[in-house]
Amino acid sequence: MKYLGKLEYYLLALIAITLFNTFLGEQFASTALVNVLIAFTVIYKGFVVIDNFMELKAANKNLRFLMRLYFIIFPLMIIISAFY
Amino acid sequence: MKSNHINNSLGIFPKSWSEKHAGRIPGNIPIWVGILSELTEFGIFFAAYFIAKFYYPDVFAQGPQSLHTSLGVTNTIVLLSSSYFMAKAMSFIRLDNLIKCERYLWLAFACGCLYLMIKTWEFHWNDLQGFGPTTSEFFTVYYYMTFNHFLHVGWASCAILWVIFRLRSGAYSAKENSGLEALAVYWHMIDLMWILIFPLLYVLR
Repeated sequence: MKYLGKLEYYLLALIAITLFNTFLGEQFASTALVNVLIAFTVIYKGFVVIDNFMELKAANKNLRFLMRLYFIIFPLMIIISAFY
Repeated sequence: MKSNHINNSLGIFPKSWSEKHAGRIPGNIPIWVGILSELTEFGIFFAAYFIAKFYYPDVFAQGPQSLHTSLGVTNTIVLLSSSYFMAKAMSFIRLDNLIKCERYLWLAFACGCLYLMIKTWEFHWNDLQGFGPTTSEFFTVYYYMTFNHFLHVGWASCAILWVIFRLRSGAYSAKENSGLEALAVYWHMIDLMWILIFPLLYVLR
């Protein structure tokens, strides 16, 4: 078996989370808990891509801050929208 | 450094924002101006989504159930894979392995094309079901967001072809690859936007 590197593990995790999100959306009625779970998985996916694929973890801290802030603000909106 | 000189001469940016203090800028400054502009554009779309959902909660609860979820999931996996291939291409150019770098760029390009084909099929499928941009408020937002994203994937795929051409002509190496890296960060930005679009339109009820 070929050696799986960090990027491969992250890709598998991102795909697994996508399938999990879809399962949540398809199987459960939209509740605050489902929205919160989905919002946190979106934050995680965003952070993984920003830090590891985009490689901002070891790069400019201001750009990393802006990108991560984006992936906090809009998932937070997902949580807020659950209480409309 | 040139960028520091410009910053100092303009005197509009704090010293702490310089590359020396804040860290290296992947790609180049112009691509980040573009990326931040695109993020603002998509941010407006997301704001419009949440405002519309506030006023039409029932329409937005029904909307995702009308979409072909499997196509949305497939496209998410395709785009995540393309980001992985792009990251691999970057890792190989840093090793001066131009052959493997090009191979991964072609894979990323293939993913971009596959995404465009699947999305086109999805638009056609929606049309067959009788759904269009004016069907409901949900579909108006859906078409605004997804068609805009579709265009971004389209021109970024063309940019991959350009980068492959430049790679073949010897423009990139382990020492100089800022053009390739600029495309890579732009491509990841497109993937990031889909990471937000997918749950909003296909998953949340």
